[in-house]
Amino acid sequence: MKKLLVLTLSAVALLSGCGSSSSASSDAVEKYGSDTLKLYNWGEYVGENLISNFEEEFGVKVITEYFDSNEMMYTKLQAGDSYDVIIPSDYMIERMISENMLQELDLSLIPNISNLADGVKNLPYDPDNTYSIPYFWGTVGLVYNHNNVDPAVVEEQGYEILRNTDYAGKIYFYDSERDSFMVALKALGYSMNTDDEAEIQEAYEWLLDMNSKMDPVYVTDEVIDGMSNGTKDIAVVYSGDAAYILSENEDMSFSMPKQGTNLWSDAMVIPANAENPLLAHEFINYVLTYDASYDNSEYVGYTSSNQEVMDALSGEGGAYEGINAYLPREGYELDEVFIDNQVLRKTLSELWIKVKAE
Amino acid sequence: MKEFRNMAFPYVIWIAVMIVAPMLLILLYAFTTAGNDVTTFHFTLENFTRFFSDMVFLEVLRRSLFIAIITTVICIVLGYPIAYIIANSQIKHQVRLILMITIPTWINMLVRTYAWMGILQDNGLVNQILGFFGIGHVTLLYTDFAVILGMVYNFIPFMILQIHASLTKMDKSYLEAASDLGADKVQSFLKITLPLSLPGVISGITLVFLPAVSSFFIPKLLGGGQYVLIGNVIESQFLTSGDWNFGSAISVIMAIIIMFSMYLTKKVDKDESAKGGDTV
Repeated sequence: MKKLLVLTLSAVALLSGCGSSSSASSDAVEKYGSDTLKLYNWGEYVGENLISNFEEEFGVKVITEYFDSNEMMYTKLQAGDSYDVIIPSDYMIERMISENMLQELDLSLIPNISNLADGVKNLPYDPDNTYSIPYFWGTVGLVYNHNNVDPAVVEEQGYEILRNTDYAGKIYFYDSERDSFMVALKALGYSMNTDDEAEIQEAYEWLLDMNSKMDPVYVTDEVIDGMSNGTKDIAVVYSGDAAYILSENEDMSFSMPKQGTNLWSDAMVIPANAENPLLAHEFINYVLTYDASYDNSEYVGYTSSNQEVMDALSGEGGAYEGINAYLPREGYELDEVFIDNQVLRKTLSELWIKVKAE
Repeated sequence: MKEFRNMAFPYVIWIAVMIVAPMLLILLYAFTTAGNDVTTFHFTLENFTRFFSDMVFLEVLRRSLFIAIITTVICIVLGYPIAYIIANSQIKHQVRLILMITIPTWINMLVRTYAWMGILQDNGLVNQILGFFGIGHVTLLYTDFAVILGMVYNFIPFMILQIHASLTKMDKSYLEAASDLGADKVQSFLKITLPLSLPGVISGITLVFLPAVSSFFIPKLLGGGQYVLIGNVIESQFLTSGDWNFGSAISVIMAIIIMFSMYLTKKVDKDESAKGGDTV
């Protein structure tokens, strides 16, 4: 009996230890209607201290869940799961808007929107930020080991270097139908949003050819460790991951292929079934502050949607000074933004499985 | 008796909701395609003809079965002696040895597979050790070897535990009788121990073959994505292309193949034990 008493007392002591935050959270309940925010984000896609600082400052609790593809996120949301803030990519936001899965934002609650960088203003999928506020943005390019691969060859061949048998067995290719067909279509000089069957067929053959000649390894996030360790010589990489790789391994360089690339952005949205939209707005506004954006971008390596942070990190003394992967190429004619196309995506997905199964 | 029968009622509901309903849903999806706004779906065999008329999918199926069979055979060949040694050691050692077999399974399978990636990498543990002895580096990750190694490593505990259980259940007096009647060790193993442990091997096969044939993250992580198995196709139908109907159809095809192979192993089991019964 005595033992039980001691246990209970220590439990009470433990609980009261959290007392300060629990009183704060009742403030949060009063202000936002709830003290928990459910965030659905990509893995390793948030600053080191952002979440804990937000929790402390606003006296709330953030529950984060992770997805590794837009489609996985979409499937989960369709199954009825509810989140307050999600960070999907451009084409998926376009699709969710068209399917009425998102809430309109109350921009008066997000004054920090004025911090947005020029490169993420008026994005085609949501030009007036009615539904989304950009989080990170960038391009897709080639990371290569400049000791083993001549930079001049990379610049001259662009994506075609991925079919150059001098480097057979030394490449990482990105394992997603969107990115792989983007590379193939761009290499052939077509638009990555094409729905011309002949062009898609040609891209499919390009990928088959690449697959049989080069013996590539298909990866997603594993590319970050792989290239940081110098496992392969050439890889198709998202610019933010490239910035990270370049800061880890000085043998690596980044090139934005001359054939053009995917200009992408991920943005924060509030789904229609969010339980706590007020706190969600507060979170979005918080992410746009200088400190939070700085923490985010410096830690993750992706380009900040906050202009000042972007300038500070790429400028003199910044963590990504001199790393070209950090600053996305702006205004290049051949660069494109993905447009949502369900039928096309299904076709590409099936073709992509076939390429890999060969 | 009547009132006891009523007590099973909650379980019937549980089974209906948790097992039967999802299966029916998968069947429904498999035999339909998404319709228009008026009818939400219509019945079709299209999903099945699509699978069987495409050489690529059939090749993937063949490869998946092949990998699963290889994995199962290696698990038996390695697992049986281990189980035998454990079953014939002292009781207090047995507990410890079985614990050693089971401890790795307490750790998440995904984490253990990631660990293998670190070990097999081009500059991973194995290659560092080889390099230390001056032996050139070998490519291990993203090969057939890596995929099969990962499968065997992950699934062999199930085989060992099943065989071990059936070996320890065996009545030792049969062996004594055999040696009294002049059988040597090999003879008594082949005539008594092996047939009597066969049910363990059979359930071991079930427990290894099933997850091996439908595994998708082991080939994905250790095979470098080039290694598309049937589980990967199903995964991509649900997660990337969003074609749940086709994904369900492939799942149903797999279920039928698995049921058929279960039936075959059960039949072999019965025949064998009938034969075993004669000799004993």
